[in-house]
Amino acid sequence: MVRVLPLIVLLSAWWLVVRLKVWPEVFVPDPRDVWTSLLDSERTHDGQIGLSGYYLHEHLWASLRRILVGVSLAIVFGTALGLALATIRPLRLVVEPYVNFIRSLPPLAYFSLLIIWFGIEDQSKIWLLFLAAFPPVALSVLSGVRGIRQERIDAIRSLGANRLQVVRHVVLPATLPELFTGVRLAIGFAWTTIVAAETIDGIPGIGGLAWSTKKFQQTDVAVLCIIVIGLSAIALDQLVKWLERTVVPWRGKA
Amino acid sequence: MEGALRVESARSPAGSPGAPSRVTLQAVAHRYLARQGEVAALGRTDLQVNTGEFVTLVGPSGCGKSTLLNLIAGFLVPTEGEVLVDGEVVTGPSPDRGVVFQQANLYPWMSVRDNVALGPRLRGVGKAERRTAADELLALVGLEEFGNARPYELSGGMQQRCQIARVLANDPDVLLLDEPFGALDAITREHLQMQLHRIWLRSRKTAVFITHSVEEAVFLGTRVIVMGARPGRIVFDERPPFRPEARTPELRATPAFVAWRERVSAVLRGT
Repeated sequence: MVRVLPLIVLLSAWWLVVRLKVWPEVFVPDPRDVWTSLLDSERTHDGQIGLSGYYLHEHLWASLRRILVGVSLAIVFGTALGLALATIRPLRLVVEPYVNFIRSLPPLAYFSLLIIWFGIEDQSKIWLLFLAAFPPVALSVLSGVRGIRQERIDAIRSLGANRLQVVRHVVLPATLPELFTGVRLAIGFAWTTIVAAETIDGIPGIGGLAWSTKKFQQTDVAVLCIIVIGLSAIALDQLVKWLERTVVPWRGKA
Repeated sequence: MEGALRVESARSPAGSPGAPSRVTLQAVAHRYLARQGEVAALGRTDLQVNTGEFVTLVGPSGCGKSTLLNLIAGFLVPTEGEVLVDGEVVTGPSPDRGVVFQQANLYPWMSVRDNVALGPRLRGVGKAERRTAADELLALVGLEEFGNARPYELSGGMQQRCQIARVLANDPDVLLLDEPFGALDAITREHLQMQLHRIWLRSRKTAVFITHSVEEAVFLGTRVIVMGARPGRIVFDERPPFRPEARTPELRATPAFVAWRERVSAVLRGT
């Protein structure tokens, strides 16, 4: 009950605002129009397929796929870079400032370059998502490795571990909780970047669809996209949290 | 169990003259760089620990007792002199020198059993074999029912028992214990002292045991060393006259034990 309360309050307020015609409908769409566009998005209506020529799940999947590819690459390279930064001091001195630099840039700042280098199709979008997602992964892994207590390393060394065994049995598992933190941040950044990534040639794509609504003032579709993006982001985050509880059951306990 | 805990009964009794030296510090000194300059953690020290001796090291904070232990463990390299174990110069950690820390340092991503079996796993012992060995050791320390638990589900005292079992799984020649019971409550502490003593009685492993507690030092040690601070140095080195078999909870209340304990305390106050 407490969980659905915010939803009920929002829907009531929304319905009231529309009913009282506080603003023109082009600014605030009728909830029923949003519902209709949701229904339209999954069927062929007036000879049109879904919205902008694709069904909603196709838009969503196109974006999810880009995010998953970009974030997966970010996990692979971010983890490797984070481990390298943590273990090779000269590398850290030279490279860490640049990782921080990229992290502090708004992704749109370098999107033009990516389009010039990689074209307007998927490649530049995935690069954009990758660049937005890899700094939090790399920096989380770095701080995870550096936060390992020396005694935890000493203990396994005195049990007979060589360098590789220290990494495999202690450094990697000990860094897992931080890696998950980094991944959740990375997915968050990827979601906030997806609309930017899909501003150009972004159909199909839920961000591209949201961006396209400005042209014909389709506020109902815009609101639908906001809801779908928000719910999908929350669902994905819950999935990662569940994965984290399964893989890192000791988090916060040891 | 007897297989995992090799009994050195053929050797001469613990600490008796003529027993072979297992751990030797030759003119060892250790300094490290701190913000305020070079700090002498351990002044020039000579020490011979004989095979089968249970040496307890007691001293105030900053007397270099942990430095001394870390030098034997191979975690530190001495700035002067050499540490020898069985005649070989120590250059780094080795499974022959098992270390028990104040914090259990068990790995929460492994079960209790896998923690105990870690040493054998690292040297390539097969799964079934190391599992059997781990279960025997868990039984030795009274944790046979907790093999599948995770370390953070154990109490502090149980974690220390698990850590001791993990070190014993490597059947090390030397046990190095750095205030292993320092964070435990008094009752658990006495209980674990007895348990450790019984394990040592069966295996007669050479041990170096660091503690803040004079009582613990006198109760467990076949040889008690007191260290003074700045720079760390040995100021007292004697063997309590209690037979290992006589070390029972009742011993603690005997006049002889109390007198010995007070003697060591007086030395410690003078440092």
